[in-house]
Amino acid sequence: MKFNRRQMLGLGVLLFGTPALVSAKQGAGQSPLFLSAASDADDKHWVTGFTFTEAGAVAVFKSALPERAHHIAVNQQQGFFVVVARRPGSWLSLGDLATGTIVREIRVPADRHVFGHGIFSADGKHFYTTESDFEDQQGDSGRVVVWEVSGEGSTVDLTRVQEFPSYGVGPHELLLMPDDETLAIANGGIRTHPAHDRDNLNVDSMVPSLAYINRNTGELLEQQFLPQEFHQASIRHMDVNAAGRIIIGMQFEGEPFLEVPLVATHQRGEELKLLLAPPEVQVQMKQYVGSMRFAEDGRHFVASCPVGNMLTFWDAEDGVMVNSIRARDGCGVCATDTGFAFSTGTGRLAHIELASGVITEHEESQLQQLFWDNHLTLVEVGTKS
Amino acid sequence: MKSAVLALSLLLSGPVFAQATNWTEVNLALTDAVVIPDYTTFATAAAAMNEQATGFCSNVTPQSLAEIQAAFQTTMDGWQAVQHIQFGPITYFNWNYRLQYWPDDNGTGGRQLSALIAGKDSTVLSSENFARQSVGVQGLQALEMLLFDDKSLEELQADSYRCNLVQAIAANLDEIAAGVAQRWADEFRKTVETADERGFFESSEDATIDYLKALVEPIRSLQQQKIEAIIGESQAEARVRRAESWRSERSIRNLKIDVASLNRFFNAGNPALNTVLPPEDIEGINAGFAKVEATLAELPDSMTVALETESGYATLKQAASDLSALFELLEASLKKTDLYLGFNSLDGD
Repeated sequence: MKFNRRQMLGLGVLLFGTPALVSAKQGAGQSPLFLSAASDADDKHWVTGFTFTEAGAVAVFKSALPERAHHIAVNQQQGFFVVVARRPGSWLSLGDLATGTIVREIRVPADRHVFGHGIFSADGKHFYTTESDFEDQQGDSGRVVVWEVSGEGSTVDLTRVQEFPSYGVGPHELLLMPDDETLAIANGGIRTHPAHDRDNLNVDSMVPSLAYINRNTGELLEQQFLPQEFHQASIRHMDVNAAGRIIIGMQFEGEPFLEVPLVATHQRGEELKLLLAPPEVQVQMKQYVGSMRFAEDGRHFVASCPVGNMLTFWDAEDGVMVNSIRARDGCGVCATDTGFAFSTGTGRLAHIELASGVITEHEESQLQQLFWDNHLTLVEVGTKS
Repeated sequence: MKSAVLALSLLLSGPVFAQATNWTEVNLALTDAVVIPDYTTFATAAAAMNEQATGFCSNVTPQSLAEIQAAFQTTMDGWQAVQHIQFGPITYFNWNYRLQYWPDDNGTGGRQLSALIAGKDSTVLSSENFARQSVGVQGLQALEMLLFDDKSLEELQADSYRCNLVQAIAANLDEIAAGVAQRWADEFRKTVETADERGFFESSEDATIDYLKALVEPIRSLQQQKIEAIIGESQAEARVRRAESWRSERSIRNLKIDVASLNRFFNAGNPALNTVLPPEDIEGINAGFAKVEATLAELPDSMTVALETESGYATLKQAASDLSALFELLEASLKKTDLYLGFNSLDGD
């Protein structure tokens, strides 16, 4: 069976009263393109583009990567994408959006590594990565690096032009705010060194933060910290809506039995709002949120919990979790016009429609033997072909 | 956007072994043959220890201390048999951490216990309040510290608070162990039986993966946490106090029970969990189990004693290597199936 719908009763009612309209993200009759990094059973690593069709998930391209990757950022204007190495990797792979071919691999300097995330400016002329100045084992070693885009498609290139402090340690995901001038940075707070792979070297003295900086000057505009009792909650993943409200997903590095908020929201000028799921769900989240994305309505959002094998759905306005579904190793999420596409580390690709709660499995595809990495990216159709 | 569909089939290698498994049958057979009986055995031992602890404080003698120590040993035997099961009711109410707070690299449990004893607040010892204390003072590790120190007899005789704490922990362990056993029998078995109705589980195959994780992942933990972290790089660098149950001198006894339990978890029940793996792999995996068990059988129950000799150290090293080989056999076999234990969940970012 290639196509399998399962009814999820109740979920839709809680999230949306009426089905969402078809948005610009998905023109009539066109299936959007999704991008994700993945690994296979032979420990080979790939970036893959695929679409969801009536016949299941159809691969559009599958290109080899040097190592395991993390997030993929898309530049529609210049027709390319950037695959960012998973920490503590040191490369960016640039791919032609028209063919999926990797056209260039860029290495960061020997005393830097990336964290798997990057973001473009709205005009597509600049790219920003979070990096670590890892030989600095005392100070705020987090960096935000500015890259200039040149060329397009198969001729595209990135030039490293400037570094700003991230105002913390271990920066992870970063966002472009709706003003197109401000970058929001999740400073995870975890000090690492490539000589110790991914080990947390400062578990007792972590100071995670959310920092807002000017993308042109690097000026620190605002910074928010967690209460001391939650200082081991590493701020990792975020999303922002059109009104500038940020949602935050955290990963707790402290004692496994503590009940600690893993989700928060923030609006500039206000305090962080820390959110808890109902106790029976909170405990099953296993202190780990893997990916955060707003729904199309900019109000509801998903926090994926791959360790707890769940996707949790929240209302950012009311600050409450409204529902959850079991999803074994489910992590990659992105908004579609009707809900969320999601991917799992067990090789599943699926879609949940929020109005109805229907989950569509894209089974038996050519892509089944891939373990999807943490993040899923949707390419908006229609801008460049 | 051009659609350039590539000939992906050349790049992909599909599963070699196609399962024709009734997942629910496997899950229930394992639950009935191993999980519920083993939790029941543990609960019975904890209940007996609680009974032993009641009245213990009226007259602490070498004899009564020896009796409660023996009850502790039986309870720990029972816990070791189910310690590897980290899904289902054991995850409720922090029961797993409240039963045993280990590993405890920073010595948190010991510090919390000392603070509690220094405070001498008897109101915390009621069962309702005790369940809300730090997990470090609630379980088997704290009880072991109270019962198996060189000065335990004198301290328990001289300090009635310590003795009352023994009773409080024993009562707490009894309540939790009974709770886990009962919830498996009364509720979670049903959850497993109805996994395909998509309640807690996505499917019966999803439930099977939880059982498989309870089989495979602990093998790596036994190797790394219970052996390699203790033996270090050389006999001189070995640190016995990092071992589980070093005070009660049963660190290696734990390992023997752990491996025997995993072996039964893999092979007991009909259909057994081993039927989800390719049949040609079972003999090799069972030989792997036999190899670890034979190596461990050469060792005394006490890690302290084992580490005193070069041959004991070498045998421990061999056991770690045997466990690693067993893990790799299971991992290689799983690769032939389309059962995936985790990717982001094991090593996320």
